[in-house]
Parts: sequence; structure tokens; C-alpha cells
Amino acid sequence: MSMTPETARRPQYGAPAPDGLITGETPVGFELIGVKKRALIQLMGSRVWGRFNPNHWDTHYAHSTGLRNPIQTGEMCSAYLAEMCVNYFGRHFFRQSRMTCKYIASIHANEVITTYGVVRGKEAHDGGVRFELEIWAENEEGEKKTVGTVSVDVRP
Amino acid sequence: MSAQEKNVTSTEDLRPMTEVQARQTREFVEGLNSQSKPYWDLVAVGDERSRDLHIIPELVILYADGVEDFNPWYEGWLMDQWRIEGSSPFGPAIVPPLLVSHFVLSVQFDHTKPFAIGSIHTYHDSEILAPIPVGATVRIHTKAVEKFIRRDRRYVRHVVTVTDVASGELYLRETRDILSL
Repeated sequence: MSMTPETARRPQYGAPAPDGLITGETPVGFELIGVKKRALIQLMGSRVWGRFNPNHWDTHYAHSTGLRNPIQTGEMCSAYLAEMCVNYFGRHFFRQSRMTCKYIASIHANEVITTYGVVRGKEAHDGGVRFELEIWAENEEGEKKTVGTVSVDVRP
Repeated sequence: MSAQEKNVTSTEDLRPMTEVQARQTREFVEGLNSQSKPYWDLVAVGDERSRDLHIIPELVILYADGVEDFNPWYEGWLMDQWRIEGSSPFGPAIVPPLLVSHFVLSVQFDHTKPFAIGSIHTYHDSEILAPIPVGATVRIHTKAVEKFIRRDRRYVRHVVTVTDVASGELYLRETRDILSL
């Protein structure tokens, strides 16, 4: 793929900090500010997301299977949580990190979802500091939808 | 009216359609539904599958736009430039950290058979080991390692690896559960 000089010079407005916002000095108990998204049925049913399963985008089908509305694929919520982690860990999130997600409740079309994260532990080692986080996503009523953990190495 | 009923949103509100679109949608859904079988019946413990995925820039854009993640590190394609090398902390554009995890379902579900549409992904434990450059071709390998029943629900567990086809570098290792009808 070729890259024009104009492209190379373009600033990346809105990009996360390359090294993230969390440093070795960040304390246990630090709270991340997450991302907030509406579960839009048009995105839930797009071809690379939920088109293969009408429970993700078709109201009639969802009702027939007992759902009150179509539900997001769980991976969409994992992507929201990963976006938050990239915002805070930058490049560190892409090497030797670990993320678990358990989808404990369905995210229905039109719900507004916010992600959260709290540093629950940190341990220094030869190469840097290993952070352990609790992460979750919930709707506007505070109902938890996805819960999980993240481990990331922050290296100099 | 119960709280559950109150929260039901009409199709018209969520996804306005004309009768032509509604008919096309019904045909599509009925087609999917008529061929679907429970995932539980389609998988045996020990089943292994592998497919190669060329992560072209446009695929990354489709994935990221679907979750409204507009991080420029993932842009190997721009509307006015089309394909570009892009830029990230690792040099050229990279792939969102869980993109390949999402495409595992196109491997663990046998793509030569109709999709088991009643299935729900319930859990993943993902090790993100190295950044994936946009344009890479990765090999997604899945193995069904367990089928289990918990609280009268049927689950299938897979272990997954994602490696670079050219270099062999291991990008992602994962364990994931699917709830079957």
C-alpha cells in the first residue's frame, strides 16, 4: 500500500495518547472514565456484526424467541471495553495483555451503555508494572451487562 | 402493563421500513430460520477448524464503525485517500485489539453449513499478545474442548489461536463459550 506525503503529515486528531494515561505511578483504586454508546439496531444488524443472527436486529424474530427487543452481540460490548482500555493503556494494551468478559445480561436495542474500569492491583516487575483491573458495562439504570477483568503490562 | 412490556420498542420505532423492505426482511429471516440447527448438535468435542482471514483495511473500517470506535490508529483506509499505510504507535495502522476475536465465530461455526442462529456468545478470556498490522493475513484455529450443561443450559467451549500466516507470530490466544439452544 502506498502512502502519500500529505497523508503522512496528517495529524491524528482525537487519537489516544500513544503510551496511554496510566503510568507506573497510577494508584490502586484509580477509576477510568469509560465510553458511552447507544445500542443502535442498524449497527447491531450490520454485516460484520449481527446480520447472521436475526436476534441481533429483527424485532419480530427476537419477540418470537422470548426477547423483549433484539440484543447486541456480546463482542460489541467487549469492543467498547477494549476502546476504554486503549484510551488508558495506549500501545501497552496491544502486547501481553489479557481481557476476560462475561456477558451476564443482554444489551437490548436502544439501551445506552457506559463502560467502567477500576485498578484493583499492581505489581512491579523487571520490565515495568503489571496492572490488574476490574471492568464492566452497564445501562442507564445501573444494570450490569458485562463484567470482566483486564491485565496489562505498562513498560517504560 | 408490566415493566417488561413497557420496555418493548416497536419495529417501526427501531427500524422504520416500507412494506417492500418488511417483506424482504421476512424472507431473509425465514430463510435463516428454516435451515438452522442447534449448535450443540453441530459440534463434537475435539472438532478442529482453521481458516485464514486477510484483514484488509476496509474490513477494519467496517468493524470499527460498527462500534463507533474512530481511533485513527486503525485507519488503513480513508474516504478521501482510500488505501493508506496509516499510522499507529507501532508504525503503520493496526487492527483493533479484539477484531480477530470477533471473527472467531466464522471459524468455530462451520461456514459450509447454515448458521446456528439461536446461539449466544457468553464468555471470552483473551490474551492479546502482539499488535496486528492492517493488511496481515491471520490463521484462526479453533478446537472444541468441552460441552457442558450449567443450570439447564447447554454450552460449548473452544480454545482459539490466531497467528500470522507469513511469520507464524502468535497474536491472540483465547478461550470462549457459546450458549446453544
